[in-house]
Amino acid sequence: MGLEPMDDLERELRQGLLRLPAPPGLKRKIMARKRALDAEKTHRRVVFWQRLAASIVLCGAVGGGVTWHNVQEQRKGEAARQQVMMALRIAGRALDQVNAQLAARDSRQ
Amino acid sequence: MSRDWQPDFEQLVDEHQSMVFSLAFRMTGDRGLAEEIAQDVFLELDRNLGRIESPEHALNWLRRVAMNRSADALRRQRVRGMDLWVEMDENHGAIFEERTSPLGARVEGLLATLPSPQRAALVLRYQEGLTPDEIAATLESPLATVKSNLQRGLKLLRAKAESRLKEYIRGT
Repeated sequence: MGLEPMDDLERELRQGLLRLPAPPGLKRKIMARKRALDAEKTHRRVVFWQRLAASIVLCGAVGGGVTWHNVQEQRKGEAARQQVMMALRIAGRALDQVNAQLAARDSRQ
Repeated sequence: MSRDWQPDFEQLVDEHQSMVFSLAFRMTGDRGLAEEIAQDVFLELDRNLGRIESPEHALNWLRRVAMNRSADALRRQRVRGMDLWVEMDENHGAIFEERTSPLGARVEGLLATLPSPQRAALVLRYQEGLTPDEIAATLESPLATVKSNLQRGLKLLRAKAESRLKEYIRGT
């Protein structure tokens, strides 16, 4: 098959099965569909990047908010600790004074 | 294989639209469907353009995808219950008579009566001038199957051509 000599039917097939001309406008339709698909692809890509950017901004905002809140809490905690320490120092000083006064009174007696 | 070759989609459409359309039309027998298949094949080519390495690769790729898409379309038609063979038998010759030579119309009419695997092998053999090995590669079928389809197809065509000739002689 293929190397054998062609008979009449095969010759007829070869002559009868020439490529047909493409319908008019086929190329135009293909190019129009390609353009539409490209535009859709570009649109989808833009929407994807927009969504990604929005997600990043949102994550940043939430993360920033959480961090800010934590920092504020830490500051408040530190201030409270400072206040407690100051109160303890004041109380300690007051106790020292009372102790000193009691010691002075004991020595007078 | 030249990696320097850059595929130009528009040029590929220009060069191969006739081949892709002819394959689809001769396989389906439906002009509208063939045009739709040709459009889909080229859009698929556009999606895979990065993988095409040479003009020969593009040609073989287009042939293979056009045949696959045509076979899919025939399968879908059969699933939907439309007997395309009967339609083709009745209409195929008439469609061609408008635009092709009497010889072309006669060949098309006979070809349309064959089962699709035999028609596919014969179209690739005589429209595209492929060897059985190339047909096997295009259809992704074993070589023995392709050779058998070519032989059976030719035998059937010969028988049909003879019976038509006898009918014609009886009629005159």
